Parts: sequence; C-alpha cells; structure tokens
Amino acid sequence: MRKLLLAAALAALLPCTGRAQTAADLMKGTQDTSNVLNYGMSYDLQRFSPLKQIDRQTVKRLVPVWNYSYDDNKSEESQPLIYQGVLYVTTNGATMALDAKTGQQLWKTKIDYPPETPRIVCCGIISRGLALYEGKIFRTTLDANVVALDAKTGKELWRSHAIDFKNGYSMTVAPLVADGVVITGISGAEYGIRGFIDGWDPDTGKHLWRTYTVAGPDDPNGKTWPGDTYLHGGGSTWITGSFDPDLHTVYWGTGNTGSWNPTTHPGDNLYTCSVLALDPKTGKIKWHFQFSPNDPYDYDSVAEMVLATLDIGGKPTKVLMDANRNGFFYVLDRTDGKLITANQYIDKLTWAKGIDPESGRPIPTEITDNVRKGQAQEVWPGAMGGKNWSPVSFNPETKLVYANTLNFGMHYKPTTPQFRAGLTYWGADIDWVWPNGPRGYLKAIDPMTGKAKWEQPSDIPRFAGVLSTAGGLVFTGKLTGEFEAFDADTGAKLWQFKTGSGIEGQPVTWQQDGVQYIAVSSGIGGVYALFSGDERLSAVPAGGSLWVFALQ
Amino acid sequence: MKRVAALVAGLSLCAFAASAQPKPEPPPTPQEFAKGEELFGSICSHCHGPHMVNPGNASFDLRKFPHDDRARFFNDVMNGKKSMPPWKDVLHPDEIEAIWAYVRTGGKAPQ
Ligand code: HEC
Repeated sequence: MRKLLLAAALAALLPCTGRAQTAADLMKGTQDTSNVLNYGMSYDLQRFSPLKQIDRQTVKRLVPVWNYSYDDNKSEESQPLIYQGVLYVTTNGATMALDAKTGQQLWKTKIDYPPETPRIVCCGIISRGLALYEGKIFRTTLDANVVALDAKTGKELWRSHAIDFKNGYSMTVAPLVADGVVITGISGAEYGIRGFIDGWDPDTGKHLWRTYTVAGPDDPNGKTWPGDTYLHGGGSTWITGSFDPDLHTVYWGTGNTGSWNPTTHPGDNLYTCSVLALDPKTGKIKWHFQFSPNDPYDYDSVAEMVLATLDIGGKPTKVLMDANRNGFFYVLDRTDGKLITANQYIDKLTWAKGIDPESGRPIPTEITDNVRKGQAQEVWPGAMGGKNWSPVSFNPETKLVYANTLNFGMHYKPTTPQFRAGLTYWGADIDWVWPNGPRGYLKAIDPMTGKAKWEQPSDIPRFAGVLSTAGGLVFTGKLTGEFEAFDADTGAKLWQFKTGSGIEGQPVTWQQDGVQYIAVSSGIGGVYALFSGDERLSAVPAGGSLWVFALQ
Repeated sequence: MKRVAALVAGLSLCAFAASAQPKPEPPPTPQEFAKGEELFGSICSHCHGPHMVNPGNASFDLRKFPHDDRARFFNDVMNGKKSMPPWKDVLHPDEIEAIWAYVRTGGKAPQ
C-alpha cells in the first residue's frame, strides 16, 4: 500500500509526457481547463477559457513565473499546447517539450531545411504550432514536410513530403486532427502555387487525400479560371481550420489569387478567398462560400473560421464567423453555407459598397471597377486587410468578438508578372497609405452588426492573437513587446508587462494544481515588421522566447 | 584562432576586391537602376522593406550596406548568409548587377 502511494506520489511529481490523448479528449476543448489540446484552444477556435482565477480585480497581481529562450531570432507565432503538465511549442527550427510549471526543457528536436527555403516565404520565417493525438506530435516544416514526433521523447516517427518547396510551396500551418485524420494546409500564393489541403494517416504518415483550393478542369468550378491559369492560381491555406465533430465537417479558409492582378485571370477564381466545408475523412467539399470573387487586393480568407451557436431570429443557430481580410464581418449558417449577415467592421473601406444579402457577393465600387480595367487606384483596406492572420477570440458570455483590426490603405498598381518557379508572382506594385492616427485597433465587435462596443487604438498596429476568459479579461500584445490585459466589457486597460521583443504570438491559458497560468511568445519578425517599413520598430530587438504568467 | 583566420580571409578578400576595383563604380544607367528597383520590389522588398525602408530587427537595413562593397554584396546575394537565402541558382548575374545598382545608390535614381 505504502509502495503504491509512493509510486502515485512520484508519478504526480513527474510530468507524464506522452500518455495517449484521444479523439474524445480533443473534443473537450476549453471545458478541460487543465490542458490545451487544440489550436485555437478548442475545435471551434473560440480562444475563450472559463477560467477566472485571474480576473478584473486580481490581474494587477499577474507576474511572470518563467521565461524560456527559443534560441531563435524570427517571428514567434506558435501557439503552445499543454497536456498533463507538459507544454509543447514550435519555432521554424525546432520542436520543444517543457515542464509547464517550471519551464525546464524536457526535450528539443531541431529541424533542418535547405538554406534556399526562405526564398519562397513571403511574410516571415514562421511556425504557427502543432497538433497532439494519441501520444504523437504533428507539425509542418518550412520546406513543406509534415512530421510526427513521439510526444514523450521528441523522436521523429515519420516524415511525409507534401510537395517541392523549390516551386514556391512552404508550410507554416499548425495541423488539425479531425475524425482521426491529420489535416494540413500550404503557403505560397505569392509564388504562383496551386493551393490545396492534405489529409494524412496519423500512424504512418500515408497521404490520404488532397483537395485543391483552385478548381481544375476535372471540377465544374474549373471554368472560373481561363485556360491553364489555375496552375498558378494561388489559394493558399496556411491557417488551421475549425471542426464541428457533430457535423463531421472541417471549415478551412483559402487564400488570394495568383497573381493578384485580376485581369490576368478574369472569372470568379473558385475556390480562392473562400471558406470550404470539408469531410475530414475524404477531403470532399460539402459546400463553399466565396467572400471575394476575382480578388485583386490580397484579401485572402485563410484566417480563422470561428464556430459558435448564436440566436438568429429567436432560433439557436450553428454559425461560422469570420472577420474577413476584406473588411466585412461575416456570419454564415455552417450547416449549409448560407449567408446570415455581413457588415463592415473597420472604419475605412473603399473597394466595395457592401455585400449583397441574397448572393453574398460584394458590390464593387468604381475603384474596383477601375482596377479590373487595369488602372492604378488608392484602395482601403490595404493588402494586409482589415484584419490579418492574428486570431480573434469569441466570448460566449459577452457575445463579442475581440479582434486586432488594421487601419491603413494602399496605392495599388496592377502589373503583369511572368511566372518563374521559386520567385514571387505578385501582379501588383503597392505602396502603403497611412492614416494620420492609429494604424490599428483592438475592437470588441458585435458579430451581427460589425459595430464595435469598444476599441483600443494603437499607433503601431497589434499583430498578436487574442484570448478572452470568464474572468472578464481580454489578453493580447503589441509589436513593441507589451503583453496586455483589458476589461472585456469596457475595454479599459488593466495590466501590462513589457517583454523583450515584439509580441506576435497566440496567448493560451490553463490551470494546474490550482494555479491559472497564461503563456505567450515574444519575438518580432512577421509581415508588418518586415514589409511595412515602420521604422518606429527599430528599437525593438529580435529574440524569441516564451513567457508564462501567474498570480503572485 | 578560427576568428583570426576568418578575419584574415575577410581582409584578403577585401584586398582582392579593392585591387580588382581600384576606382569607385560609375553611376548606373537609368535603365539599369529602373530594372534593379523593380527586381528589388518584387523579390527582396517583402524581407528588406518597401524602398529598402526597414526597422532592421528581423532582416538587414540595406540602406546601411556599404555602397562600395560590391564583392560582399555579390557574395551575400549569390551564396546567402545565415537566414538570408542564396539566389545564384534562380537569378541571372545581370539581375543581381541591376539590384546592386539600386542598392549602391541608396535607392536614389541617377540624374
Ligand atoms: C526571406 C527573407 C529575405 C529575402 C527574400 C531577401 N533577404 Fe536579404 N537578408 C535577409 C536577412 C534575414 C538578412 C540578415 C542576415 C543575417 O542574419 O546576417 C539579410 C541580409 C542581406 C544582406 C546583407 C548581408 C551582410 O550582412 O553582408 C544583403 C546584401 C541582402 N540581404 C540582399 C538581399 C537582396 C538583394 C535580396 C533580393 C534578391 C534579398 N536580400 C532578399 C532576408 C532576406
């Protein structure tokens, strides 16, 4: 008996790495507050936690408990996962397991990719995270491989090659495990790829299916592409989809067209700038909804499709919500893909007059008509959109979506690029147009109207993920390094902590032995830092690390 | 020791470059500059910033690149350096030449 007790005590002391977590565990999402097993914190990507030890009153006692160096000076956008006291996280160059309480490294497995690889990465050398399933870790590599590691040891179990990176294909996406299939997307719409989503066998790495996001001749929607333009049609898929286990449906957003210049491929260009509802077992498209047909502006729609149940006309309805890069906030019925409502959620939008409620199509302004005639124009929002990749949080208690929105435009001039494998295939020259005031706002958006209940401006826009909690808090961070907490009802700033680099990471929270922890990565180097020319960031050094906080 | 060797190698490379290029390079032709500006915009600017304007934390501020160090520029661009990728198998020498024309003038078009 005593021996048994001792063994139990020992087991409790040691973090137990790699015990199998099942499909049922993955479905619990944030109901299981001791683990974080999903990208987006649950299959619905709500990034809302019922934890409330850290609340409006106690947050002022929030302090760092440990910090871990990634030994990497790139953009740190990876979302950590936590399972039974072990925190798993990725960078572009390594996968790591840490003791979640102390920050002690348990193992680190490095990743090598050829030095040519960053050539085909448009917007930062990044890994966005990993998936956990039955004792394995799944991640992608910049040079387009999908890798499985033993969660206990970090040993590589299998590696499957998705496609040749030299033709412009790369991977930054965190995989999704849905109905027992590992699902991954691809990056490279700026390099003239033909985008797709892949399914893999978690045990062996066997390729199960590939669904192209750019319809070809074998698909009736292939006629939305003239000639063989579909071969370089773009449609990347670099943000993890959401999953409804009851409907056995995965919702995955698709990227912009290749090239951007709409006159090089007149037509709707399906399924770019869309959301696809997929059967995870086969990859079959159940329905699609296109946000921006024949998009000129890089209004890609890869970013998260958040699932919730909203009261629509007195009826609880399974919806999908998307703060689209094109500046409209969409609510769709996710059972059939029908538009419920779409409203402008940013201050300035000049490319469309609105969204037709019947067809779901944007009504172009003269500016967009002129661009489609090949003319140069000033357009709002700019190519980084009304919101970029940084994921929102939906709080089912306040019914608000907390989003880091952008507020700048661009001078846009269409050009006609020649395709050269492995080089950029833009199709437009752009120059940013800046507002006089803030370039971004953290907004608390009513999904049904697009209107903000409150907003928190930032001169340099925020590019971090957002987390909200039942403690009445909203967490996010700044490119200048401050990790921040706001009151979910009023937007009042309650707390901040200055980290050593810029924050582009995705905060998560969990509870362990009675303590609520919050983790976020710091490390500048994403699309805004590289491509905006904002010299105010020159005093923010690179240098990736992970910060974990708890109450003092 | 290794450092010393590297330093010496660096010095001798510079010496070689200097002896091979005794006088400063003449300004580029407007055509060459325009080609360089366009190539820079499409191939380099998403890492090095629009018109070379960049906070310099996540990549290199090319406005600070020495305008007389042709050898270092060609070596970096052809062979890469840390996370700066190598380009020799995808860019033609005359394309690198044109980008150099753009970079060594600090992005200012010749009169
Ligand atoms: C994927 C992003 C990326 C692209 C694309 C890129 N660079 Fe770089 N470049 C970098 C980074 C990062 C560094 C800093 C390397 C280091 O750590 O020293 C750099 C450094 C440099 C340097 C200076 C190296 C030195 O210290 O001597 C030159 C010159 C340069 N790049 C030129 C170019 C040119 C010309 C192009 C377009 C053909 C280009 N780069 C495209 C990322 C990039």
